[in-house]
Amino acid sequence: MRKNALAGWLLLAPALALLGGLVLFPIIYNAWLSLHDKHAFLTVQTFVGLRHYVYFAHDEEFWNSFYYGVVYAGSTMALQLVLGIPAALLLNEAFRGRNLLRGVVLFPYVIPTIVAVMLWKWLLNDSYGLVNHLLVTTGVVRVPLAWLGKDYIMWSLVLTSVWQFFPFVVVTYLARLQTIPPELYEAATVDGATAWRRFMHVTLPQTRNVLFVIVLLRSIWMFTKFDTVWLMAGEGGVSRYIRTLPVYAYARSFTYLQAGMGAALAVIMFVLLLVATAVYFRVFRQEEALA
Amino acid sequence: MRRTGAARAAALYGGGLALLLVGAFPLFWMVSTSLKPSGEIFATPPRLIPAHPTLENFRRLLTDTSFLTFFKNSAIVSLTTVALTLVVSALGAYGLTRFSFAGRDKVAGLILLTYMFAPIMIIIPFYILVRLLGIANTRLALVLSYTTFCLPFCLWLLRAFFQSIPLELEEAALVDGADRGRAVWYVVLPLALPGLIAAAIFTFILAYNDFLFALVLISSDELKTLPVGVNDLFNATIVDWGMIMAAGVMITAPAVAFFVAVQRYLIQGWGAGGVKG
Repeated sequence: MRKNALAGWLLLAPALALLGGLVLFPIIYNAWLSLHDKHAFLTVQTFVGLRHYVYFAHDEEFWNSFYYGVVYAGSTMALQLVLGIPAALLLNEAFRGRNLLRGVVLFPYVIPTIVAVMLWKWLLNDSYGLVNHLLVTTGVVRVPLAWLGKDYIMWSLVLTSVWQFFPFVVVTYLARLQTIPPELYEAATVDGATAWRRFMHVTLPQTRNVLFVIVLLRSIWMFTKFDTVWLMAGEGGVSRYIRTLPVYAYARSFTYLQAGMGAALAVIMFVLLLVATAVYFRVFRQEEALA
Repeated sequence: MRRTGAARAAALYGGGLALLLVGAFPLFWMVSTSLKPSGEIFATPPRLIPAHPTLENFRRLLTDTSFLTFFKNSAIVSLTTVALTLVVSALGAYGLTRFSFAGRDKVAGLILLTYMFAPIMIIIPFYILVRLLGIANTRLALVLSYTTFCLPFCLWLLRAFFQSIPLELEEAALVDGADRGRAVWYVVLPLALPGLIAAAIFTFILAYNDFLFALVLISSDELKTLPVGVNDLFNATIVDWGMIMAAGVMITAPAVAFFVAVQRYLIQGWGAGGVKG
């Protein structure tokens, strides 16, 4: 009964057809498209070779979006760790109300992005927002800040994104914390280790691998994040102060209708991620060897 | 540890309170604003709890805008996606775990690889393909794209669940005279239920939340789903904050309800493979 290869393939066929047709084929088609000049919905296309790639190498807008993308992915990833790891450590302790809190912490991650962005735009509203009200009444600032203006829009975007995605770090890290054998902590406590030393010498080494995965996944997902960034500022006005690569690729394809150029940006994004991941694995493995 | 018991409790509850504020206060503020009459929304200082709560914002949202149409579209698309994804990934996972064939593990690895591609990286060829197939601006296009993007995760999740179900149980049912379909329906699927539920939640949240595909693939107003439709409302005129927050409450409610109802299964699913987002 278990050697029936045909049945196995047949059961897999619908999944393979969908993935092949709607993911693998588009990826290949995308690479081919990036070598062409093509309007987003007219059928005319001309082969231009690597011209789009050469163009982007000298395109100021491209380098700006690369820079904004790195700033955005780097800062949100770091802040998600800063907020998420202590939260996970806290939720791993025994206290009353812990289960309720574990549920509440997931809220930001579960609510749709459109809601998270609208909500924070309201909280950060320059005239009536709660954030400015609190900052002014507590004397932190003297005049309300234009959170959604060009000087602070990146801050607002980072704040919204960190709030929205830090629960992922909490859940993933917490899941690993729960599997650390309690004996390790008991031994450390008997040896007179303080809480800080227990964290450094027991928790951190034990959770090293999960941290590696969290940093990798969160960086990739923040670098390719489209909806939160796009919804924060749309396409006009201050949007160019937070225009990351995904938003730039979208604009090239669907605003300027230059599908070939958009496709080239998608390929560049993919290659950047591939290289960054390879380097990251290398550095991590070297560290492992030294330790 | 005993000596510092009080300090420890203070730290725990202080931290807990801070976390509660971070997680829940913005949502509380959304609900509070949605219940305020417009005069109170712009009052200084702002009131934490509405003095004269009203459902006026919700009434305006439901009668003056196409919100209900967007809602209906989101429900149809998300639920169809969940059903289709569960069927396709359960079939595939069963094929991957119950039959041995050459290249089986390679196929599984390749499927996982497709999980690494963000929608933004293939949206352009995807759009051209959908137009070529003549299904641009249809709900079908959305259902197919969400199903495809949920498949790798769901397949791997269900594969892990199916692997943990002993073959002997199924064989016992077969020996007892059940045919294969019945053995799967009455033995395998009930045991894999936590996995199926986790896969359903993951799929629902992704489909219900998606903005990019809906933005690119749907052009007519009557087919738009909530994220794009409400973003249009937001951009249309001077922002009506009361109504927008009411929309936020209405969009959030099904997602949170769905989630709370089956949360314990989701935690298991998370342990098994992580959630993308």
